[in-house]
Amino acid sequence: MTKSLSQEDLRQMASRWLPPHRVPQRFRIHSDTSDFFRVEYDDVVILQGKPYLVRHNAKEQRFGLEDEVKFWVKRAIDLKNGNLKIMKLVFYENFISHIGDIEFECFRSPKKEARILDLVSGHKNFMHGYSVQDEKDNLIRILDFIKGKTLAAHVGNIEMDHETYYHEHFPGILDHFFECVQAIRFLHENGERHGDIRRDHILIDRETDDYRWIDFDFNYRHRENIYGYDLFGLGNILVFLAGMGDVLLRDLKREGHPSLSALSEEDLNLVFNNRVVNLKKIYPYIPEPLNRVLMHFSRGTNWFYEHTVQLLDDLGEVKNDH
Amino acid sequence: MTEEGKTFNKNILIAVDESENARRAVSYVGQLLGGLPGFRVTILHVVPEPEEDYFPSSTEKKEWLTQYRQKIDALLEGSRQLLIKKGFDPKDVAVRSTLRYCPSMAECILSERDETEYSTIVVGRQGLSRSEEFLFGSISSKIVTHARNCTVWVVE
Repeated sequence: MTKSLSQEDLRQMASRWLPPHRVPQRFRIHSDTSDFFRVEYDDVVILQGKPYLVRHNAKEQRFGLEDEVKFWVKRAIDLKNGNLKIMKLVFYENFISHIGDIEFECFRSPKKEARILDLVSGHKNFMHGYSVQDEKDNLIRILDFIKGKTLAAHVGNIEMDHETYYHEHFPGILDHFFECVQAIRFLHENGERHGDIRRDHILIDRETDDYRWIDFDFNYRHRENIYGYDLFGLGNILVFLAGMGDVLLRDLKREGHPSLSALSEEDLNLVFNNRVVNLKKIYPYIPEPLNRVLMHFSRGTNWFYEHTVQLLDDLGEVKNDH
Repeated sequence: MTEEGKTFNKNILIAVDESENARRAVSYVGQLLGGLPGFRVTILHVVPEPEEDYFPSSTEKKEWLTQYRQKIDALLEGSRQLLIKKGFDPKDVAVRSTLRYCPSMAECILSERDETEYSTIVVGRQGLSRSEEFLFGSISSKIVTHARNCTVWVVE
């Protein structure tokens, strides 16, 4: 049995990792995190004898809106070794989500994320971490902090014309993305879904250059096609990557783009009717095999991917073409 | 009935859920076959075992299942009464609900059929939009695609 940590113990530990003026005089200590709003900056959470010093709440970027503070997700320092961690406290939510005019039921599950963390331990294309229960059996996930930008930010910050991007950057990005799709296949083969596949849920690890999936606690009530929503997410990312960002009808109209008149309803995203998917009409140098894959996510498609292996087969052909 | 060596029986499996389309499927069978001799119907509802992740605790899962079962029992009995009203003999209309882990509801319904002797499966068309069908899949389309050794009626 670990002896309980005194205020002095904690101060000493914290002083190893913080500059002296940052070390709190007194710590509020939590071993029950049920009310995550009460767990604040400079508090200490003790989980199975291990103290974590809480730093800021995490934020999630929301497109065009102010960042959303995720009060149940904290940055924290493992006071035993000074490692920076992400601490995800238990937050159940269940709600109806909308994509376009489609409604579906979503929920957040700490159990799912904990299970996937075990499954992907050591896999280079996922975030890593472990789960631990607090004294009230809340299943807390302790994640390694990944230094690096999101894929969305990486591509969004590239400043060059599309053709140069396409020839010089896209092949490398596609290779990495291919690995990401293989990683999702790994999940699916193990009966798991990512559940929230978005371009800001891939981090590019600054140390290894690997693309790594994050945030697995989301899930959706599937209907007939169990992996369909994950595949739709992969398709949206692929279109984003191939287009060096979203190609929006609004922007094309503003620019008076010459290809605008050639676009039809069938060239738009299956669900988001302001996004162009038939990129070949905008960027004619995009090869047919890639455009064929993109078009499976368009309104004009007569066939949709059901399994990642189908997408990987087609992307393999695209890669060989580059 | 025999044609070119194949034997079809008069056993009909209607797979239902809580939708209006499923009710239409039951009503269709009632109108078409009610009062005709020899037909036997089973009204089936496969209860998709909720994923472990969906509930914060096993108690909540149990409560959900109990309530769901009650709802489905009422649904099945209502469907049975509808067929009887349309002329089926009560002894020829059975109901069944079964709890299964269902990554694919269509496959669960088809495997139920495989274990029994039904030459005809009846389902309602879900009325999904095209994008919805692509993204989330359609049970009736999958049943039509994957059904073997039986006939499928998809009721609009």
